[in-house]
Amino acid sequence: MPPVVRFAVRRLGRAVLTLWFASTVTFLLLRLLPGNPALAVESPNMTVQARNILLHQYGLDQPLLTQYGKYLWQLLHGNLGVSFTQQVPVSSVLLARLPWTLLLTGSSLLLTIAVGIPLGVLAATRPHRVLDRLVQVFGVGVQSLFVPTVGIFLLFVFGLQLHWLPIGGAYTPGVYGGAWYVSVLSHLVLPCVSLMLVQLGSYALTLRATLIESLGEDYTVLANAKGLPRSKVVWKHALRNALLPTTTLVGLNLGYLVGGAVLTETVFAYPGVGRGIYEAVTQLDYPVLQGAFVLLAATVVLVNMLTDLAYGVLDPRVRTA
Amino acid sequence: MSVGALDSVTTEAPTAARATWSAFRRNPLGMISLVVLALIVLVAIFAPLVVSEPQGYGGAVLRAPSGSHIFGTDNLGRDIFAEVVWGTRISVLVAAASSALAIVIGVLVAVLGAYFPKADTVIGTIVDLCLSLPVLPLMILVTALAGTSLLTEILIIAFFSWPEVARVVRSQALSAVRLPYMDAARLTGGSSTWIIRKHLLPAVAPVVIVSVALTSSRAVLTAASLAFLGLGGVTNWSWGRILFESEQSGAMSSAWWTTLFPSLAMLVLVVSATLISITYNDARNPRSRED
Amino acid sequence: MRARFPIAVVAAVAAAATVAACSPAPPKSGAGGSTGDATLTIATTTDVVNFNPLIGNSRTDDWITDLMYPRLLTIDADGNKKPYLAKDFGYSNPTTGYFDIRDDMKWSDGQPVTASDVAYTINAILKDKPAGNTTYGQMSNVVNATAPSTTKVEIHLSRADSTVVSEVGFWMNVVPQHVFEPNGSVAKFPNNSNWVSAGPYKLVSAVKGQSYTLERVSPYPFAPNNTPTLQKVVYRVYPDINSEILALKNGDVDLIGNSLPPAQVKSLQSTAGIKVQEAPGLGYEHMAYNMNHQPLNKLQVRQALAHGVDYNAIRSVVLQGQAVTTGSSPIPPVLKDWVDPSLKEYNYDPNQSKQLLAQAGVSNLKLNLIYSLADPVSSQAATIIKDDEAKAGITINLQGQERNTYLANTASGNYDIYLGNFAIMDDPTTNMSLTYLPGGAINYGLVNDPALSGLIKQAQATTDKAAQKQLITQAATSVHDNVYDNVMYMQNLYFAYSNKWTGFTVKPSELLSLLDPQSLANVKKTG
Repeated sequence: MPPVVRFAVRRLGRAVLTLWFASTVTFLLLRLLPGNPALAVESPNMTVQARNILLHQYGLDQPLLTQYGKYLWQLLHGNLGVSFTQQVPVSSVLLARLPWTLLLTGSSLLLTIAVGIPLGVLAATRPHRVLDRLVQVFGVGVQSLFVPTVGIFLLFVFGLQLHWLPIGGAYTPGVYGGAWYVSVLSHLVLPCVSLMLVQLGSYALTLRATLIESLGEDYTVLANAKGLPRSKVVWKHALRNALLPTTTLVGLNLGYLVGGAVLTETVFAYPGVGRGIYEAVTQLDYPVLQGAFVLLAATVVLVNMLTDLAYGVLDPRVRTA
Repeated sequence: MSVGALDSVTTEAPTAARATWSAFRRNPLGMISLVVLALIVLVAIFAPLVVSEPQGYGGAVLRAPSGSHIFGTDNLGRDIFAEVVWGTRISVLVAAASSALAIVIGVLVAVLGAYFPKADTVIGTIVDLCLSLPVLPLMILVTALAGTSLLTEILIIAFFSWPEVARVVRSQALSAVRLPYMDAARLTGGSSTWIIRKHLLPAVAPVVIVSVALTSSRAVLTAASLAFLGLGGVTNWSWGRILFESEQSGAMSSAWWTTLFPSLAMLVLVVSATLISITYNDARNPRSRED
Repeated sequence: MRARFPIAVVAAVAAAATVAACSPAPPKSGAGGSTGDATLTIATTTDVVNFNPLIGNSRTDDWITDLMYPRLLTIDADGNKKPYLAKDFGYSNPTTGYFDIRDDMKWSDGQPVTASDVAYTINAILKDKPAGNTTYGQMSNVVNATAPSTTKVEIHLSRADSTVVSEVGFWMNVVPQHVFEPNGSVAKFPNNSNWVSAGPYKLVSAVKGQSYTLERVSPYPFAPNNTPTLQKVVYRVYPDINSEILALKNGDVDLIGNSLPPAQVKSLQSTAGIKVQEAPGLGYEHMAYNMNHQPLNKLQVRQALAHGVDYNAIRSVVLQGQAVTTGSSPIPPVLKDWVDPSLKEYNYDPNQSKQLLAQAGVSNLKLNLIYSLADPVSSQAATIIKDDEAKAGITINLQGQERNTYLANTASGNYDIYLGNFAIMDDPTTNMSLTYLPGGAINYGLVNDPALSGLIKQAQATTDKAAQKQLITQAATSVHDNVYDNVMYMQNLYFAYSNKWTGFTVKPSELLSLLDPQSLANVKKTG
């Protein structure tokens, strides 16, 4: 087998394994931990029989292995099942929320990189000076912010006090055409900024640390000695290497980010997947939860593949190998 | 390769440890953070001496900070200063206990994997798979199903934090086992446990120290996030509980003091722990050390 | 930086493409009219789960489906049942109930609302048992329903049950048979597109987690000139109450649908541009002592617990005075026709509690109290209860639980004391049968007193209101004197809206409040 094919096969195998693992863990957690979806239907008039009928309708009275077999079989056919509470296919529940999650996390990631890289470079090129210390404290500080507190603060200042930005939602209902895009953008600003703030620290600080290392490497010393302009040495040679761990960070963080934006989505009333998961948890809507975790795992797989690609571009050793 | 301060592996180790410490001491950020962290721990331990436990209710509801209540009062008229002081106990406890547990599991898994190459493929895959799981949503799910108590909270946070520790420690351990002195130890016939204890653990100790800071600060924020979503314990005061009660009573925007002070407490704890780990990391690395 | 291109660009393009796919199309014109083109935007903390009114889920589901699928009866400010779709209702004999319905209501596709729609809805609920359907539990004595004419519905009972007509009439939303029947089981029909409504408004677009837009339907007989005053009603979801309040102050929304947290009422009352409206509650907050657990089966122990709590303090601190006592009776004062003023609240007296415990021979009493963390008022009341009982020498172990754990524990009787609220108590007889009959779905005290059961069953069987009142009064007295239930207060609810609006009708409970269909069909913009 040529190495490229072997590599592709191994990657694909890993992707399938990841999806299987995520779906199985979710399946087992839902069934082995206490919790009964029939009880989650809060109705003062439901008798024990009525609740048992419901369990039967949900298929939860079957043996665990039968349920698992059915679930995997459906999954293989791309069928995520039907929501317990909404009576519609899980895929449509998730697809309605996915675009907003992608928009929010994608834009916040871009913003983080756009702000984080210059900050990291700023700090690394002046190690242990005042500016470096400021960047460090700032980076660590914003990373330690509690999202809801920041969120309400931003809404209070930029919404209520300054009237610059709207409060809550992904857009204003009843707006169409070009105005709709403006509305989407104006609703995106605050949640995007608060997600950026909490991510910024890890990017800027990782970059700072690796850049300090690579500025001490032989090739940068050599480049300096050759009389290349300092800015070129930093931005072109050293940074290129230092970006590798940052790229890994994107891979590690994005999966976390997609589901982990629950608090941001809650405070800013943003209709993303994270909030959808939280609501499915309160209703114990098993099919939606199973589907959501498969979706998140698929996102992670996808992002990791993209990170691999980025590695190839960034690291000459990987490219020639 | 610098070696931790815990054990003498090579003759230069004590010198390295001393050099790290002296570099650490010269960084004001690190030193200030160390003092702040020590203060927080002291407040947690001696909370009853600082202020009496917030209980019951008072007539003065949602009052802004003043002389009698320096952090103001909450929606039941309780003193927020007392809540923050007492909340320190649980928040620090959750952070310490869950990160300790995560570190133990993570280090054990990583070191075993690195030392026994046959197990490493499996262990590496499991760690990678666990890392690909969406952590916060899963914690929400498990807490909702398993119920809210201090113990389950600690266990859940630890259980979802160890893969990150294992990942970091494993890469360090892998490079350590390839070092010549490890082969030498094996050739001289040392038992596996002896080699792991005497050589491998000290080699990964610095990474572990950094991990402790990062894991525990993340645990503080995670615990608060869960509490904010109504998934934290309410038997004891924690910073997350103060924030949760503020959220539920709709006081977050109109009574800023109900969220500002617990959020600040969290910020100070997390910032100081993180800065200590950064300073330590810089200090033990001769290249980034300020000389 | 060429380096960060792949991820950044792919992410940006993917996000832009998918979001563009969500771009809504402008509505076809024609919905507007001469009566006004106002849009009322309502904020809610809970998202819509389901658009099928026969499947019970969130409060927002009810608000939205109520605007499309009429109830037979409604409730006035005193909690009395009043005609809505039904003009007249009652019993033609002890085992036959009837509704005479209006002939001037139409579904938005032009079909009339008929008695066969009503009969179909009742029979479909009986057959398909949709999850969480409130009416299903009230129809245990119903055999079936028939429609002898286009305006007459008959409910056939297996035995005399005086609660069926008023409860089915109030709780059930009538759905269009010609839309629902072709879709099979009503338990599985999502009803998530092409809505058909009997007015005043009809869903035209739904974006999960974000907003729901309804447009005017006419003719609607309860609006001026048969035409609802608003062109559009928009529900917007704000999961966090704090951003919801900010959105109201900022003008992003006109009204907050859910009742305000007690601590925010004063501050919003004094906010410029905001009006706060009081509405009576129709439910109560109560503690039930698990009678299956020793020593809670002893009357003196329950009395000791009841006298150990300062209910006044709970009302004045937790509820900021926005609650009234029920005299420790399970009949809240809003139900003026039923209330018995001779019942008095258990007075707060820790010494009396100690004496009662000593008489019962109980010392060192330790009890678990469960409540839902999702209920902020209960959570706060619980801390006061704990501190008060401690003064009477009783240790309360608070178990605030996440919603699902709480529901599982209440279902299995795994608690000493249950604390929670009963949101809507529109009919004392029905309520008492659910709460105090053995096997009742919310009999959290696990009460099993044959004398009390006898009174409740007699009240259920009689259609004579005076006789029923007497039986219910006796039953309430028995509950009060035996401390089978400890009703602490009835909360008055407060709703905030922008002062740009006027003309809301106020009805009791959060379910109806200012959002009742008749209210929303008549509101106007000021000036």
